[in-house]
Amino acid sequence: MNSDFYQKLVDLYAGRELPAELEDQMELAAFNDQSLAHDMSTLRKTVDLVHEDPGPEFTEESYQRILMKLYARGVDIQTNAPEPTHLQYQLPIQG
Amino acid sequence: MPNDALRDSLAEKKWLTALAKGDPNALGGIYEMYGERIFRYTYRMLGNRSDAEDATAETFLRVLRRSAELRADGAFRTWLFRIARNLCIDKMRQHKLMELPADAQYSGGEEKATLRITVQQALSDLPTEYREPLVLCDLEDMAAREAAEVLKISVPALKSRLYRGRRALRDKLGGALERMS
Repeated sequence: MNSDFYQKLVDLYAGRELPAELEDQMELAAFNDQSLAHDMSTLRKTVDLVHEDPGPEFTEESYQRILMKLYARGVDIQTNAPEPTHLQYQLPIQG
Repeated sequence: MPNDALRDSLAEKKWLTALAKGDPNALGGIYEMYGERIFRYTYRMLGNRSDAEDATAETFLRVLRRSAELRADGAFRTWLFRIARNLCIDKMRQHKLMELPADAQYSGGEEKATLRITVQQALSDLPTEYREPLVLCDLEDMAAREAAEVLKISVPALKSRLYRGRRALRDKLGGALERMS
């Protein structure tokens, strides 16, 4: 089998796009080929690592700042999300 | 169609119809549906929160401006990501924002956070043509066909860039991957 073909198979293996039967055959082939085994495992780890990344957090502050930017551009936007406490009107302290 | 996808599709149709009629709640509904995904996508493309917030707000502003032309035919989400992408490309051209995000913050344990920053840095270092398919397909879990439509390329071209991008990312991660073993 030529290396280009193997490389394509490894790409599919890494993204879990191969049917189970072919995946088993790839893993069997990797037993006797260290370089193939390394290629398969490191590429799959890379894909898994990227998939597991939760990404940047969409914070309440970002959510509200985006809304503020839209209000500032004259957009009448209404959401169902409760208004954050720090934007609510504070009653004066009695005393 | 899975229940979640069907529910989203119906909600999208409802909000787009309402938006075309000038309902002020409609844009809010669309923002609640897609705001987080567009923000995450723009953050990953631009690398910092402030620019991502700007690009997200501008994306929804464009939704409003084009409200009369929008159709709830399933292509809306693709169109939305395409608009966000174009805005990101404009911003990258303006500011040449290709470096490590200065404000990358991740929650979780120290080791995990370090690994995520390493991944983010490696992603940022990739050429845009490799980074875009990785962000859409692997991070946003978008189907290849839809991602290809967002990027205006064929599905085979998308897959070719995706596979090359994964290999380039693996090469950049190098030692970090070894330490994971």
